[in-house]
Amino acid sequence: MQNGEAIKGMAGTSFADEMLLSLENIRKEFPSVTALADVSFDLKRGEVHAVCGENGAGKSTLMKIISGVYTPTSGKIVYKGQTRNFANPLEAENLGIAIIHQELNLVPHLTVAENIYLAREPRRGFLVDRRKLKADAQACLDRLGVAISPDRLVRELSVAQCQMVEIAKALSLNAEVLIMDEPTSSLTEQETRLLFKVIHDLKSSGVGIIYISHRLDEMADIVDRVTVLRDGRYVATSAFAKTSVDEIVSRMVGRSLEEKFPERTSTPSEDVLLRADNLTRHGVFRNVSFTLRRGEILGFAGLMGAGRTEVARAIFGADPLNEGTVTMDGKVLSITSPRDAIAAGLAYLSEDRKAQGLAIKMPVDANMTLANMEAVSNRFGLIDFAAHAKAAEHYVDLLSIKTPSVKQPVRLLSGGNQQKIIIGKWLFRQSRILFFDEPTRGIDVGAKFAIYKIMDELARTGIGVILISSELPEILGMTDRVAVFHNGTITGVLDTARTNQEEIMRYASGYGLSPHRPAAN
Amino acid sequence: MSIPTEPKSGRLSDRQKDVIQKFAALGSLFVLIAVFSATSNAFFTVNNGMTIALQVTSIALLGIGATCVIITGGIDLSVGSVLALSGVVAALAVKELGMPVPIGMLIGILTGSACGLINGIFVTRMKLPPFIATLGMMLIARGVALQITGARAVSGLGESFGELGNGSLFRVVTIGDDGFPNVVFPGIPYPVILMIVIAIAVSFMLNRSVLGRHIYAVGSNVDAARLSGVNVNRVVSFTYVLSGTLAGLTGCVLMSRLVTAQPNEGVMYELDAIASAVIGGTSLIGGVGTISGTAIGAFVIGILRNGLNMNGVSAFTQQIIIGLVILLTVWIDQLRNRR
Repeated sequence: MQNGEAIKGMAGTSFADEMLLSLENIRKEFPSVTALADVSFDLKRGEVHAVCGENGAGKSTLMKIISGVYTPTSGKIVYKGQTRNFANPLEAENLGIAIIHQELNLVPHLTVAENIYLAREPRRGFLVDRRKLKADAQACLDRLGVAISPDRLVRELSVAQCQMVEIAKALSLNAEVLIMDEPTSSLTEQETRLLFKVIHDLKSSGVGIIYISHRLDEMADIVDRVTVLRDGRYVATSAFAKTSVDEIVSRMVGRSLEEKFPERTSTPSEDVLLRADNLTRHGVFRNVSFTLRRGEILGFAGLMGAGRTEVARAIFGADPLNEGTVTMDGKVLSITSPRDAIAAGLAYLSEDRKAQGLAIKMPVDANMTLANMEAVSNRFGLIDFAAHAKAAEHYVDLLSIKTPSVKQPVRLLSGGNQQKIIIGKWLFRQSRILFFDEPTRGIDVGAKFAIYKIMDELARTGIGVILISSELPEILGMTDRVAVFHNGTITGVLDTARTNQEEIMRYASGYGLSPHRPAAN
Repeated sequence: MSIPTEPKSGRLSDRQKDVIQKFAALGSLFVLIAVFSATSNAFFTVNNGMTIALQVTSIALLGIGATCVIITGGIDLSVGSVLALSGVVAALAVKELGMPVPIGMLIGILTGSACGLINGIFVTRMKLPPFIATLGMMLIARGVALQITGARAVSGLGESFGELGNGSLFRVVTIGDDGFPNVVFPGIPYPVILMIVIAIAVSFMLNRSVLGRHIYAVGSNVDAARLSGVNVNRVVSFTYVLSGTLAGLTGCVLMSRLVTAQPNEGVMYELDAIASAVIGGTSLIGGVGTISGTAIGAFVIGILRNGLNMNGVSAFTQQIIIGLVILLTVWIDQLRNRR
């Protein structure tokens, strides 16, 4: 760390404005679509250059061209003063261009050291030189200043730790250009801060970083310049410090977005819809109590692993619940499986859409009706296809889902539209309480706004919404009250209108809690 | 992301690819028929057609069960053994216990269902990988079949035991001038009728019923299905029970055709069943597959065997050719799925 600071002091002189990588008029055509048209981009040594754009703007294609996965149809790539044409990712990697994917590419059953040197293990004859392997890995980790033992198995690590291992791996390859794709999307605030510290150190040692993220709010800490792409075209590049977030957003969407959050039109009623009393799942969460009123949006805030998702899943019957009661409309629910929960009117929209929310090979209509097949079938269990299509089309219209037809497989749709399909599924089931678990993760600004609007409209119809989110602005922008989780329990229920990020973070981190702060309501 | 992830090769729409896949299998079927018709006079005849249909029934019936299991993301390796067990149970029930043939066969079929149910319980409740659960059943069922028969064939079952396997509908026979019977039309064998009826019924179940929708949903994403309220264990168990039941039925048909129950019958049939499903476009990852595809797959295998036989190709060479066909079709399937 001190080392890094020292180098940083010299940063201004040693590699000021030294161009590391530049792309000129890059064009990439696929047989049916032009993914990139005349995009130019450059990266200096010791700089963090953010690339922003909505889903489908061409960020991924551009990164794949830089990292050698795709060859551009036309255009020039100059890397360290030489015109290059990477034939494959390995060539780019050997020349010092590394990419850290959003879905981390580590082997869970191998140790940290083995992952860092996978396929490049130091050898002694036919055998792996385990001592050197460990020492080299330790050196890489030390350079990052992270305390992870090289002997630990990767499957025991948190997402943030895995990311550090990926960065260590990139450093071991002597990477000079590091591409980070949505590195903070599954990190907590605290972990994000640690990541940013590491990014600062990398900057000062002369590494150029291309940073892709949807989270503009965080960028101020680290980003030097920002390039915006839209629909495969270059829009603008500017110094981040001189560009407002609103400007970036309007460049991304091509129109100015007045606000990130819609105005709340709903107000919660007084009657309690759902009451949780002393919910406990041994070793996961304990004594969790809260109430949800009709037409209310209740936030679940807290750090990753604080137990928010686990509580939601347990109430929904997806995970066991050891103690406690859940009461709905004054009646105690007995839920042992998601089927029971669904029958009672609960719905859970999981944080991982593709893994838990959608049957991605199946078409829009089949996904939309999956939770309520009774409504579109007769008593012999045969599907009424007319009713089936009508239901799907109704919700496609209602939620403005962009799809060529209800027969389109959902995997071909964008993240925002997929999320809307899941919402449609639960609306069709006439669910009365919806748990939204990180509903806007990885979806673009325009679609986020649409999802927020839908949440507000649901609340207005008397539906109770629980919003689990790691993004505090989202919690503050959308909820009526917020229950803050820390280490498996609720440390406070705050009135959103009378709290702020700092207070929520204080409760979330478990510091400085007054023991008996009266919960709002 | 709507960005194409396939760097090379032309991009076709999914629908086009699906059509190509379907026609690739159907087309190769027609090519096979054309080639064999040209190389052998006896191939393209009504009689041989019925022979092929009869031979295909066992592959197709097992393949239909295999398709449903594979759509959920499972696999059933036990059907070859289960059909042997079911067949000998039916035969012993008739011979040793003196039961009427229909009752004996019903018991045989239910034995298959029971084996399937056990598979289902091991896969769902005890969470064994389907490969292991059904591998165990494969050994156990074969062992029991050999045990209860003393590894000997059960014969002397009487003519009525052969009715299911050898009888046929619409058989037209005239007595010629010389007094010998003259077969005008061999009739449609009962097993072929069974195959057609069951294929249509299961296809209907998969496409039109809620149960079928749930089968695809479980195979496409088991977590999403569970969180949508699908009773995953029941759906998965059902597919194993169906597969076991069809294996039981196949066993009865096969033993009836020979009018002898062989405890060694059906060895490696599970692989034909899986191959027919795979040739027909069923994905071993789950979520994808159709009965019509499997039927085409079963006919591809059946016609290959029959045609190669007629052309005097040795059994060893036949295996090599069928092996290559499986590799080729699965490779085509991989191309289709590399999107």
